[in-house]
Amino acid sequence: MKINKHDIIKKEDFLWEIPQTFRPQMRVPARVIASETLLDAIMVDRSLVQLVNVASLPGIIGASLVMPDVHEGYGFPIGGVAATLYPDGAISPGGIGYDINCGVRLLTSQQNAEEINSKLEELSKEMYAQIPSGMGKGGQINLNPKEMDEVLTKGAEWAVDNGYADKKELNYMESNGRLDNADPAMVSQMAKKRGTDQLGTIGSGNHFVEVDYVEEIYDPIAAEAYGLSKGQVVVLIHTGSRGLGHQVATDYIRGIMAAMPNYGIKVPDRELACVPFNSQEGENYFKAMCAAANFAWCNREIISWEVRKAWKNVFGADVAPLKLMYDVAHNIAKIETHKVDGEKLKVLVHRKGATRAFGPGFEDLPKEYLSIGQPVIIPGSMGTCSYILAGTNRSEEISFGSCCHGAGRKLSRTAAKKQVNAPVLKEKLREMGIYVQAGSFKGIAEEAPIAYKDVNEVVETIQDSGIAKKVAKLRPMAVVKG
Amino acid sequence: MKVEGSSFKEIMVAGVLGMANILKEDICDTEDSFEIKSNIVLKATDQTCLLIDFLSEVLSYSYLEKSIYCKVIFIKLTATNIIADIYGKKTIGFDEEIKAVTYHEAEVVKTRRNTWETFIIFDI
Repeated sequence: MKINKHDIIKKEDFLWEIPQTFRPQMRVPARVIASETLLDAIMVDRSLVQLVNVASLPGIIGASLVMPDVHEGYGFPIGGVAATLYPDGAISPGGIGYDINCGVRLLTSQQNAEEINSKLEELSKEMYAQIPSGMGKGGQINLNPKEMDEVLTKGAEWAVDNGYADKKELNYMESNGRLDNADPAMVSQMAKKRGTDQLGTIGSGNHFVEVDYVEEIYDPIAAEAYGLSKGQVVVLIHTGSRGLGHQVATDYIRGIMAAMPNYGIKVPDRELACVPFNSQEGENYFKAMCAAANFAWCNREIISWEVRKAWKNVFGADVAPLKLMYDVAHNIAKIETHKVDGEKLKVLVHRKGATRAFGPGFEDLPKEYLSIGQPVIIPGSMGTCSYILAGTNRSEEISFGSCCHGAGRKLSRTAAKKQVNAPVLKEKLREMGIYVQAGSFKGIAEEAPIAYKDVNEVVETIQDSGIAKKVAKLRPMAVVKG
Repeated sequence: MKVEGSSFKEIMVAGVLGMANILKEDICDTEDSFEIKSNIVLKATDQTCLLIDFLSEVLSYSYLEKSIYCKVIFIKLTATNIIADIYGKKTIGFDEEIKAVTYHEAEVVKTRRNTWETFIIFDI
């Protein structure tokens, strides 16, 4: 299947549509949120073919959607959103991805960039020492089976109960860092064993802990509500459910693929394997996915504890504590209510490489964010910048309350490794005032800025499309990677 | 990764060795003794699924045992069933973290040259 530009209709500025008539199997249209320049770039890989495939999922409603940071994935495009009718529409593990509840959080300090500049190198080394990163590295906590089940049930609350975090912090996380549908019994022993020593670890790939400063404020009222000010030092944490989540996805994609014939479901790509949500297989996967999501929230909470420890070791025990601004998931499925063709419907929203971006008035938000909208955290790459946005009510009208999740890859890891001289890049970043502590040069090359789209362009498109608004821009100072 | 072989069995072994090389380069090149033995029993709907599911199991054991598996002894292998012992070497850390062995674009085919081949795409 080939998609040409003439197959795509401009619905409105920054919103493009491949009509349902494009292919008989499509149950809804496929929509792209992008500028024309980004749309042309998106058409280089097979993201749109994958988007059209997603539009054929049983029970999908509204439209299959991709964000401007979209790139080709496995079955589902990364940067995609698909909502299926609850309770009998499809649930597809591939629509969530292998790294369940991969997500990002932002901690805010009370220090300015100038105040910490002289200690930046020491801080980056101390963070690298405190936060286990890299391939196959275990963490500081070894969970026994009872503790594992508690983590899978309680999520970030487990960290609070065990003295790693303050209870107030739970208010500043999507779903308060806990999905109540989690059932540890639905998680395989293999998955649990893989997760035993992985709490508090970031892993490798594009995961990182990064010290940034607020370079620019675009919306002073929203920034004040979020506790952000110009020059302020903040910490970004990006990771997910580690091997436990990878194993849950692997286990259930296999099982669901085998179960599809029982429901008469055929999909154009095996990685789109799906079953009705209210089937036994669908319910079991959802419960396991929620458990893995809880593990990820707890993981990011323990990493925050490690960051705070490093902070105190460098700046002294009396340093003002780092405060959690917000924590969002970008690989997850959630039961939500959305308006579709004028009707309020309960749906299962799959977000794979997409962030929830609810607007002002969403009742789960902390009270100081209620009139602003949900914080959306968009990491760029280690040499460019990241953004804090605020969700809008417009996102609920056109994208099931969703927004992009990053800059989006432009080069594969292999291509990046071929093009980038990592030691030279590390030195160049150092000259720009960015300290990089990484487990390998390979990891630096794979995540080089040239491997990513222009995050500024992606964020401008999001702002212009109206699904989120810019609040602040962050500039990196130190990066810890696996 | 593209794997080729003169039989289905050969591409199963090639898949294991190829994956081992990504996890820890050259570790399977030397004829050492193996410290770890694991047993895998699987059923699948077709040969492609059996290959991907088998590699997924080998990957899971690699992380669980912190080992790289370099040798496979097949006790039973059909188009949809496998019973095998896999033998591995302990390792401290990996060169690359593979999140998953995906089904994306995998299709085990017998070519006109009477060889077997498929692409295997890893989520890294």
